[in-house]
Amino acid sequence: MMDKLKLGVFELTDCGGCALNILFLYEKLFDLLEFYEITEFHMATSLSEENHYDVALVTGTVSTQRDLNLLKEARNHSEYLIALGTCATHGSVQGSVELPIREKLKAVYGDDGNPMRALDSKPVVEYVAVDFALPGCPYDKNEVYQVLMDIAKGIEPVRKDYPVCLECKLNEYECVLVKKGLPCLGPITYGGCNAACIRSGLGCIGCRGPLPGEVNPASEYEILKDLGYDDEYIIRKFKTFARWEP
Amino acid sequence: MIIELREFTRVEGNGKAEIVIEDGEVKDVRLKIIEGPRFFELLTLGRHYYDVPDLEARICAICYLSHSVASVLGIERAFGVEVPEEIALIRELGLIGELLESHALHLYLLVAPDVFGYPDAIRMATKHGELVKEGLALKAFGNRIRVMVGGREIHGINVKPGGFGRYPTVEELERVEKESEALLRLARRAVRLFAQLDPYGAQAKHFVATDGYLWGEKLVSDEEGAFHYTERIEERSLVYSFAKQSLYKGEIFFVGALPRLLLKSEMLTPAAKRLFEEHREKLETGYVSYNNLAQAIELVYSLERANEIAKTLLDRGIEGENVPVEPREGEGIGYVEAPRGVLIHHYRIDANGNVAYSNIITPTALNHAMMEASLLEEARKLYGEAEERAMIGRLEETVRAFDPCISCSVHLVKL
Repeated sequence: MMDKLKLGVFELTDCGGCALNILFLYEKLFDLLEFYEITEFHMATSLSEENHYDVALVTGTVSTQRDLNLLKEARNHSEYLIALGTCATHGSVQGSVELPIREKLKAVYGDDGNPMRALDSKPVVEYVAVDFALPGCPYDKNEVYQVLMDIAKGIEPVRKDYPVCLECKLNEYECVLVKKGLPCLGPITYGGCNAACIRSGLGCIGCRGPLPGEVNPASEYEILKDLGYDDEYIIRKFKTFARWEP
Repeated sequence: MIIELREFTRVEGNGKAEIVIEDGEVKDVRLKIIEGPRFFELLTLGRHYYDVPDLEARICAICYLSHSVASVLGIERAFGVEVPEEIALIRELGLIGELLESHALHLYLLVAPDVFGYPDAIRMATKHGELVKEGLALKAFGNRIRVMVGGREIHGINVKPGGFGRYPTVEELERVEKESEALLRLARRAVRLFAQLDPYGAQAKHFVATDGYLWGEKLVSDEEGAFHYTERIEERSLVYSFAKQSLYKGEIFFVGALPRLLLKSEMLTPAAKRLFEEHREKLETGYVSYNNLAQAIELVYSLERANEIAKTLLDRGIEGENVPVEPREGEGIGYVEAPRGVLIHHYRIDANGNVAYSNIITPTALNHAMMEASLLEEARKLYGEAEERAMIGRLEETVRAFDPCISCSVHLVKL
């Protein structure tokens, strides 16, 4: 029997969902544990015994000096580092608040300065090189399962290359953008969520960030303008999860 | 001398504590929330009301639906919108799903390892696999309800001002009715298990909850009837923590499962009420560790109530009509019981339907002072008596009893 791979889960500043989602794998988590030994995962275990990881999952944004130190530790002690979730890959919602940190802190905590060493929230990928980036707010748990299984078998995991629209069509959902005139970012958003919002008859909010490559944000912008949404509304929608300039 | 505890484990988010020792005695304890600030109120400022509940859901993954519902209630109250019973019942069902998912996660995966002496549930599963599986079954059921009502297990988008994107189907409700009945046996067993916990932490002097069981128009406390949070609850910033502290009429208070049971036991379902009466004496001592026993009783309540709601909805049939929402200038507060206690979303909205003011107070922030008081109590009891490792272990258990949700606690703002 081969030695199990050491897996570390490192949580920076976020809602906890990306770490929680791993526990939501239920019986599949036990399948993963055939290949991996979890040696760092502070939401789930009080054990913390290793300083070397074959695979490190890092969730959240870098929002404090503590986050930055933890990220560097994870990077320096891991072979394969995955930025997990839209906070880690794109900055997500807290990364989209655009005031300088000093002003943000003042608005929230008053004039006491910055004793806790807060930083502007930025994604993990802006600080260190990552071996794989898996977006989603939250990411699809079956996707992380597949990625970890691929790595365990020595296969380089595949990055998806299609928009949310593809999964929407495969599910045969009615197009909410064209048929209902709802603001839907499906055409330009990185697929992999199985079109969860459109399943509810609602527009895609873009939580997986922009699909790189051949998408046409300008055309999406025009469609939303034609539907009557104003510039500020559209720009904010584009920027919410990924600070994406339309 | 300062004893610095390492970061808490088996809690959601990042926090730690410091024990200040002077002249060989425990002088003070500081609970440091080191999770970075997340600025949600700034994020929602100027946003169109319709998009706000989806953003607020991101405050917390474990209780995203409580945030969505509190946000929707605040927005609807600002516009003077009232929803019919059907919509209210489906929302309540969603909150119940969340209570089940969150309590089962907390009790079985985070607290039970302490009871049996393991560092985590995965390692505990080798000897107590059945128990872990029972916890996961309850949790998965709660999550299925969250998917049905909220749209996803985490950060769903289905709960909207005026109704839902999509309504539950008859098949889904029948499944809820059947499964809630089947799982009741497991929840009863949890009550027996967590009734064995020792009393520890501080004894709460004041309890606060919403006036309904899982949400309300106002808050209530152990000493008075309904009030708005602005009349009695004050927040203050601390230099050592990203979370603020709150006091009720200048005093430390407790929110969560135990306060809910003590203040609203007459609203409980039959089996939950019987269990409450059976353990009433213990619960009324107010020790924070009994919050876990209260959570177990709430598992029973949730399953019974889910069953009742599914039956009611099946009997009357689902119409699936949203209430039209017309934005107008207004102010509203949404009060919800998140699994770990009172959650407040307060908005002012302008004539265009954009958020002009927002204030959110989360249960972990409301309990911050109570957590410090509990740590101080335990540290005083154990310092010099127990080994340092044993003391630190108990302090960690004390914090865990609150089921603190640290991510949620770091974005409180008054503008």
